[in-house]
Amino acid sequence: MSINPLSALPASVASAARTAKNERFDRWWIMVAAVVALVLLLITLKPDPYKNLFLFVRDGVWRTTYITIISFVLVIVFGLFVGLARLSKHKAIRGVATVYVEIIRGIPMMVQIIYWAFALPAIIQEMGSAWNIPSFMEYRPDGIVMAIFGLTFGYSAYMSEVYRAGIQSISKGQMEAARSLGMTYVQAMRYIIVPQAVRVILPPMGNELITLLKDTALVSAVAIPELTRRGREFSSANFNPIETWTMVALLYLVMTLLATRLVAYLEKMARYER
Amino acid sequence: MEPIIKIQGVHKYFGTLEALKGVNLEVQKGEVVVIIGPSGSGKSTMLRCINRLEEFDEGSIIVDGIPLDTAENINAVRTEVGMVFQQFNLFPHLSVLENVLLAQQIVRKRDRAEAEKVGMALLNKVGIPEKAKYFPGQLSGGQQQRVAIARALAMNPKIMLFDEPTSALDPEMIQEVLDVMVALAREGMTMVVVSHEMGFARACAHRAILMDAGQIIEEASPDVLFSHPTHERTKAFLSKVLH
Repeated sequence: MSINPLSALPASVASAARTAKNERFDRWWIMVAAVVALVLLLITLKPDPYKNLFLFVRDGVWRTTYITIISFVLVIVFGLFVGLARLSKHKAIRGVATVYVEIIRGIPMMVQIIYWAFALPAIIQEMGSAWNIPSFMEYRPDGIVMAIFGLTFGYSAYMSEVYRAGIQSISKGQMEAARSLGMTYVQAMRYIIVPQAVRVILPPMGNELITLLKDTALVSAVAIPELTRRGREFSSANFNPIETWTMVALLYLVMTLLATRLVAYLEKMARYER
Repeated sequence: MEPIIKIQGVHKYFGTLEALKGVNLEVQKGEVVVIIGPSGSGKSTMLRCINRLEEFDEGSIIVDGIPLDTAENINAVRTEVGMVFQQFNLFPHLSVLENVLLAQQIVRKRDRAEAEKVGMALLNKVGIPEKAKYFPGQLSGGQQQRVAIARALAMNPKIMLFDEPTSALDPEMIQEVLDVMVALAREGMTMVVVSHEMGFARACAHRAILMDAGQIIEEASPDVLFSHPTHERTKAFLSKVLH
């Protein structure tokens, strides 16, 4: 038997691919370019204070970026497990996950971050002196690590809800069809449910990324020298709040707009004919 | 001969509603059984119990010598039992061909070339090899249902279950799906079909069964059941359906 009727790609698939390519740089990129241009303009036209300012907060931008990326990757993984646990048919698993989500959602992110940075190490030290465990007594965690833990732990609760809604939006018939073909639950999830849910999940997931990026400013409260913290340092040393916070705001804007474009691009990649 | 499907005393509750009230049914290898009955009579529920998409509360079901008890056995039964749904349930993110290949590769562990050979042969059989690269959303309902049949057949099942396969189709597409089912029945496939397609039943079925209120009321050859029903409830149901 010949296996050749496959060669001709349906016209609509080809045209969809073409459109996606054309739109890779859609007009929202103009906005990104405009903000970047504004930053560059300020730096070149008024190097004092903008250039000094930029050079001063540069490491803060970098720190904000990698705190965001590492936390978000962890949130994607941990949030998925919590989301699946929330859908588990085992009452105990579902219960633990639900309690976790409810607790996290009920405590301000700022308080959670401070808790991870100051309260938790203190608890471990107290435990160390109570039970005479030297390594606990001298427990001094890295500030950035604790900040990342705090953000991850907090945002995973929100992300788990994104996953849960996405998975629930896929019709029950999809799971039934997969199981009726002999697939295990894990196979059905991996090959059938998750790939479809991704399409639904991506837009709210993008929102989480952008909110997380902005909320990294909260870790300035626990003395992590990220962008906001560096801005405050510069502003109080040079007494120029207008210039400093304009620049800091613009730099956040560049990052969030880029993140938005990235998410929009991923959404396009995930599309398929329906 | 030992029946390939043996349902004994199966009860199923949805909350306080008893959907199946002690159903007994045996299906022989190569037999085509059509189940009719009013909606809510438990016919789909019983069908879905055969591959354990629906859990039952009492009784036992043995398929091809395997009792539906452990997770392992249930999966073993599912690989031997194909199912076709009213709503097709094709995987919309995969092309028609990938729909037919996926389970062959990950459940039957066939390599890509072999799976593709089987898949294309089946798409030919159901009459739409030219749609292999399309996505389900680009196909008509009748075409989608034929792909769904091909997808189930790709696992080389010993039994095929059809859950109202033509109920969601526009009238002009029903025949193309029935034609595929008739061909399958002629080849000697064991089939359990929940459907009110009397034409199909008369042409292919060895036995027709009327279910009502979670019980099997009457069973006979299709001609006898449709033309000379003995039970009042069968008569009442047929008088509504045949008009």
